Amino acid sequence: MKVEKTNYEKKGETKSFLSFRLAEEHFTIPVMKIMEILEVPKITKIPQSPNFLVGVINLRGAVLPVIDTRIKFGMSPIEYTINTCILVLSIELDGETIIVGSLVDSVSEVFELSDEMIKPTPTIATRYRADYIQGMIQEDDHFMMVLNIDKVFSTLDLESISESKDAKVTEE
Amino acid sequence: MDEMKKVYIQEANELLDNLESSLLSLEENPNDKSNIEQVFRVMHTLKGNSSMFGLVKIAEFVHDLETIYDKIRQGEMQLSEAILNTTLLSLDHLNRIIIDSELEEEINKENHSKLIDEIHSFIEVGSSEKINSNVSDNSEALDSELTSEGTKTYHVYFEPSSTIFLDGSNPLLLIAELTALGKSVIVPHFKAIHHLDKFNPIHCYTYWDVYLESACEKTDILDVFVFVEGNSTIEISEFAYTDLLSNQSFLDVTTGSIYKDLKTDITAIKLLAESIGVSSKEKAESKVEVSNSKLQSKKSETKEKALTSIRVASDKLDELMNLVSELVTTQASLSLFKEKHETPELEVISENIEKLSRRLRDIAFGMTLVPVNNMFSRFQRLVRDVSMSLGKEVDFITEGGETELDKSIIETLTDPIMHIIRNSLDHGLELPSVRESQDKTRKGTVKLKAFYSGVFVFIQIIDDGKGIDVDVIREKAISKGLMKEEDELTDKEIFDFIFNAGFSTATVVTDISGRGVGMDVVKRNITDLKGVVSVDSQVNVGTTLTIKLPLSLSIIDGLLVDIQGVNYIIPLSVVNKCYEVDNSDMVKNFNRLLVLDEMQVPFINMREEFGYAKLDFKGKSQLIVVSDGENEVGITVDYIVDEYQAVVKPIGKYYRNQDFVSGATILGDGSIALVLDTHKIVELYTEHIKMELK
Repeated sequence: MKVEKTNYEKKGETKSFLSFRLAEEHFTIPVMKIMEILEVPKITKIPQSPNFLVGVINLRGAVLPVIDTRIKFGMSPIEYTINTCILVLSIELDGETIIVGSLVDSVSEVFELSDEMIKPTPTIATRYRADYIQGMIQEDDHFMMVLNIDKVFSTLDLESISESKDAKVTEE
Repeated sequence: MDEMKKVYIQEANELLDNLESSLLSLEENPNDKSNIEQVFRVMHTLKGNSSMFGLVKIAEFVHDLETIYDKIRQGEMQLSEAILNTTLLSLDHLNRIIIDSELEEEINKENHSKLIDEIHSFIEVGSSEKINSNVSDNSEALDSELTSEGTKTYHVYFEPSSTIFLDGSNPLLLIAELTALGKSVIVPHFKAIHHLDKFNPIHCYTYWDVYLESACEKTDILDVFVFVEGNSTIEISEFAYTDLLSNQSFLDVTTGSIYKDLKTDITAIKLLAESIGVSSKEKAESKVEVSNSKLQSKKSETKEKALTSIRVASDKLDELMNLVSELVTTQASLSLFKEKHETPELEVISENIEKLSRRLRDIAFGMTLVPVNNMFSRFQRLVRDVSMSLGKEVDFITEGGETELDKSIIETLTDPIMHIIRNSLDHGLELPSVRESQDKTRKGTVKLKAFYSGVFVFIQIIDDGKGIDVDVIREKAISKGLMKEEDELTDKEIFDFIFNAGFSTATVVTDISGRGVGMDVVKRNITDLKGVVSVDSQVNVGTTLTIKLPLSLSIIDGLLVDIQGVNYIIPLSVVNKCYEVDNSDMVKNFNRLLVLDEMQVPFINMREEFGYAKLDFKGKSQLIVVSDGENEVGITVDYIVDEYQAVVKPIGKYYRNQDFVSGATILGDGSIALVLDTHKIVELYTEHIKMELK
């Protein structure tokens, strides 16, 4: 895998990316990281868990944790529409590969992109943590953020946000 | 080749384990011949395996070791403490070099030459001893020659298994070894080969009748075949106490069947032997019978063993368990479907499948269980080494080694138990002199005991050392701020402080510094396995540490319940009783106690605990009384749905703060139910109450 990556970088070959929407913002991640895209099934909420952890679903017999990506990005909780879907992502966490579901408002398209086309993030222009964003790309008239999903869903960050509404309700 | 190497290492590890336990039992009974034989045999197999894989250094090393035991076996050398020690060290060395067979690591190289020197010195000393003893025991040797009263004639029937070449054995070498024992007549036979196209060139079609005239014992003859007796047919019988082979008519008859596929008629030959007038005595006759039947039973035993156990890669077993889990889940959806559609045929099919999957589950489950003996035997060595280095004398007793546990549980359990035993030896048991002054036996005892109780397995580590003083721990806990002076705790609760991080028992009870790893790690490991650990101790009588574990982690029988539309599973193993109670009794309950069957039972309102909507004042709830072995606590649920076989799956790292949910299971309709750890819920609740009181 690593060898392939360096090849890409050297030769400037293209990689596939998928773009999706959270509220009004557009994001994109490498297709390699996405295992599949699901409609939203019945989600079982685990009590006393932070509110961005929506719950768990049955993915063909395996138990898959699902995250409300909007809350994770400091937006309002997701509103379920016909376009809402779950991206099943394979991410690296403490050197282990884990599978996690990410709720997004809608998916847009898959497109090819070479590494040179990803421009560095302007440090001031974004309200997201710099290490979440790998770079920006320009498409027609709008910008899209390329996410570093291994960072976005890493556990340590989850713990720092875990002082959430749910936990407080039970303590009161 | 890599695959082959893996097989070699796996086998070598098993052989070394085997060797270690034989050596340790040899240490206890140095005169037990069968142990020496066992040690020798294992070494021999290891040597064979190693040279087969071209690992010359290992093979040579083992060969030297084997030489010592061969000499001991032959009575040319005396087993000594020093030899055993070196052998055990060599064993450790072998364990390392089976991976590093070319001795690339410097330390291995060093050890290698050091151990070889030691081994050689033993062999040399042994040889000179032999000469000495030969001189001094000359008279004895004469005696034994006299008592052996000349020679005996044996009939040896040897039919190698047709695949003997594949094992790398050469039957001709065995025959040669046999003939070296004395004078012999060899009568080879061929099995009938009807068609040439059925002839397999790598199979063995030859078998032998060997008439052997020798002064040796029957066991010596058996020794020749020791490595092929598992799959070859070997029959040995004594004919006469005299030399039959010099009789011409006897020879005529016996060699008559040469190169023919004829089952030699032993009885006829025996009759002949009698008619020749040199017949065996009656006593010998009966001996033949007995030994024959003995041999037969031995053979069938080994055959049975070969059939009853095969080697299976553990990941295959894991996969089987996964598939069975899937099957159980799928079967649940089938039953659900059956209930919706009232078709009689479907009902029959569904019920059959349920029965089958249940049986399959039990069998697959049984396969993943391993007797704890595997783990126990590893501790023998630990106890021996640690007690020696501490200068303590210990009797290490294991009980209930046949108790079975899930193999993954055993793997995680080894380290904590090892730690506890080390603690017992180091801090528990006193030095022999101290023990004697206290009217105790000089030798201390450490007992490792495993037994079943219900759906749990208990493992106890019991020592008869100096014990732990409750008051000392109490003071320490107070000084550490873990409890207050006025708190009234039971002894058990006080002992539990031992498991707190940084609460070293060593500094509490004695001034000997403790080892790095604390009891908190032990407790965490065991809690990870959904187990409970507790201590009981009496000063100067001893300490007992009890570990309680579930039989399995993967599939449990549970009670499927509903709390505000969410499905939960409560393991049946903790459920004592279920009651129906009015919500009004609970909502306005100040003490949070209910009187059930004239008993006061504290209860936990799960809706409140989980942050769900409040209980409907007019309705009713189900109260499930769960127990952790000591306390009974009621848990409220909206209603009980069913009994359910739950395949427990992990819910992942994200939920590690929600550890009152021990996993999730998939229901027949594809939705998810959460498996509750009631022990944790009670713990959490008690903390809440304490916070509220403050």
